[in-house]
Amino acid sequence: MTTSAIVTAVHDQVLASGGSSGDDGGFVGFIFLLSGFAFYALMYFRYRNADKRHRHESETEATLLNMKAEDTFVRSKTGMSNRTMNGANSHEVRGARKKFF
Amino acid sequence: MENPDPMSRAAEQEPVGPVPPSAPDVAAPSSPAADAVDGSPQGFDIPVLEPDDDAPRVIQTDEGASDGLAKCSRCGATEISLNVATGNLRCNFCRFEWSAQSAADAFDLNGDIGKLAGVTMGSGSSDIVPSTDEVMTFKCSACGAEVLIDTASSTQARCHWCRNTLSMNQQVPNGAVPDMILPFKVAKETAIASINKFVQKRRFFAHPLFRAEFTPENVMGVYLPYMVVDINAHARLSGEGEHQTRSYTVKVGDSQQTRYDADLYDVVRDFDVHVSDLTVESSSERLDQITSQNANNIINTIMPFDVENAVRYDSNYMKGFTSERRDSNLDELSPIAFTQAEDITRHRVNSTLTFYDRGVRWTQQDVDVRGQRWVSAYLPVWLYSYQQRKSNGSTFLHYVAVNARTGETMGSVPIHQGKLLLVSGGVEVAGIIAAIVLTALGI
Ligand SMILES: [Zn+2]
Ligand SMILES: [Zn+2]
Repeated sequence: MTTSAIVTAVHDQVLASGGSSGDDGGFVGFIFLLSGFAFYALMYFRYRNADKRHRHESETEATLLNMKAEDTFVRSKTGMSNRTMNGANSHEVRGARKKFF
Repeated sequence: MENPDPMSRAAEQEPVGPVPPSAPDVAAPSSPAADAVDGSPQGFDIPVLEPDDDAPRVIQTDEGASDGLAKCSRCGATEISLNVATGNLRCNFCRFEWSAQSAADAFDLNGDIGKLAGVTMGSGSSDIVPSTDEVMTFKCSACGAEVLIDTASSTQARCHWCRNTLSMNQQVPNGAVPDMILPFKVAKETAIASINKFVQKRRFFAHPLFRAEFTPENVMGVYLPYMVVDINAHARLSGEGEHQTRSYTVKVGDSQQTRYDADLYDVVRDFDVHVSDLTVESSSERLDQITSQNANNIINTIMPFDVENAVRYDSNYMKGFTSERRDSNLDELSPIAFTQAEDITRHRVNSTLTFYDRGVRWTQQDVDVRGQRWVSAYLPVWLYSYQQRKSNGSTFLHYVAVNARTGETMGSVPIHQGKLLLVSGGVEVAGIIAAIVLTALGI
């Protein structure tokens, strides 16, 4: 299904860019002003890998059976300025052991 | 629903041990009933709903296992070790090779997860009795001498007098002998090469002392303790989802901004879920993954293992390797496993939510664990450790770890902070100059 591919692609892109990239032009200049900090963080994680963990949520085998979906239309919303839903949490991971502090 | 949060209730069930059903700690403060009356006076009797078939079903996994001299069935020698190339045990005298029985076959682990009910566990996963000795004493049946096995690092030892190897294969409640073991498959030379390659890619900012002292040949083969869990659950997730119907630009003052229209839906997914071979560290030290204090997340990262190829525990797989003993019980590991199982479930359900391209917000998740099976395992890791002594006197233990089944490699390399800060400073100055130039040019 093409829509799912697009959704996945958009999702990956958001993840890759750290979750919050502005679409406006000031972004490039902003990156230059932060370049030293960005470089430090990049190298720190490349050497220490403190951000790495086992992706149990996707790397564990699981099967869903007897799936029943009940979806009911509530209402239409218009003129929203955010591209994704507020408080969307279906990708949330709560069981990771890794913590920074 | 009579039970709003079955996960946490299941986690509080005492899987083994002679806890009387009326013991006060059964109604733990975090039980759903206690949450529901939050703020009201504590101490009155809260009825605890305990299913009748609560007692765990124990699979005896050390049946027929014996301690002492484990002899080659062909020549009687005790010089038996793993042949990494074949995955078999080999007699180092007569070269006879054999394998322990597949754990999945021996303990019937491949059966339908949907048929799991209540708690099933291997006898090697039972609760640790704190008074159990860490160092076990055995009598060498070849010469009569007493041989000590330090179960913190192995389940084997050599008799100092007659040089025979003594093995411990019967389970005592100290967590040393698990239900199953996954033998090393990646050869030591391969592991050294992987570790070397990993570190060579991170040389420039590596601490000079580390660069001088790095000796990948010192890598240790270690069997680390894990619990392998199968879960049969019923889940009902409900919440809201948004599907985008239109996007367009509007003029706000001088700038163009994007606006979105969407349809809002109530979303419910009701299903059964079978989680297979969820693997959780079972040593409290390895479960501690606070990355500002230790590098245990490195060892966590090299999961998963092909645990379906594990065999019945046999100490002969241990020769030439060390081990770390399990020190955590089901009641401590259940909350971790169930939270991770919920993550896995939520992640799988996303494949049914592609219509909601703006996302789904779950407001209620009811997961009812109907059956669970716990099997303890030693899993093989090539581990290179490096103790960094920092200038402030503190130390940090770095690891480069190789999954000895899949070869997946991850590591932590000590950084030369001064050099990295200096170069980052240089990058920052260059960035600021570039930003000024770009601004001056009006870009
Ligand atoms: Zn032999
Ligand atoms: Zn002896």
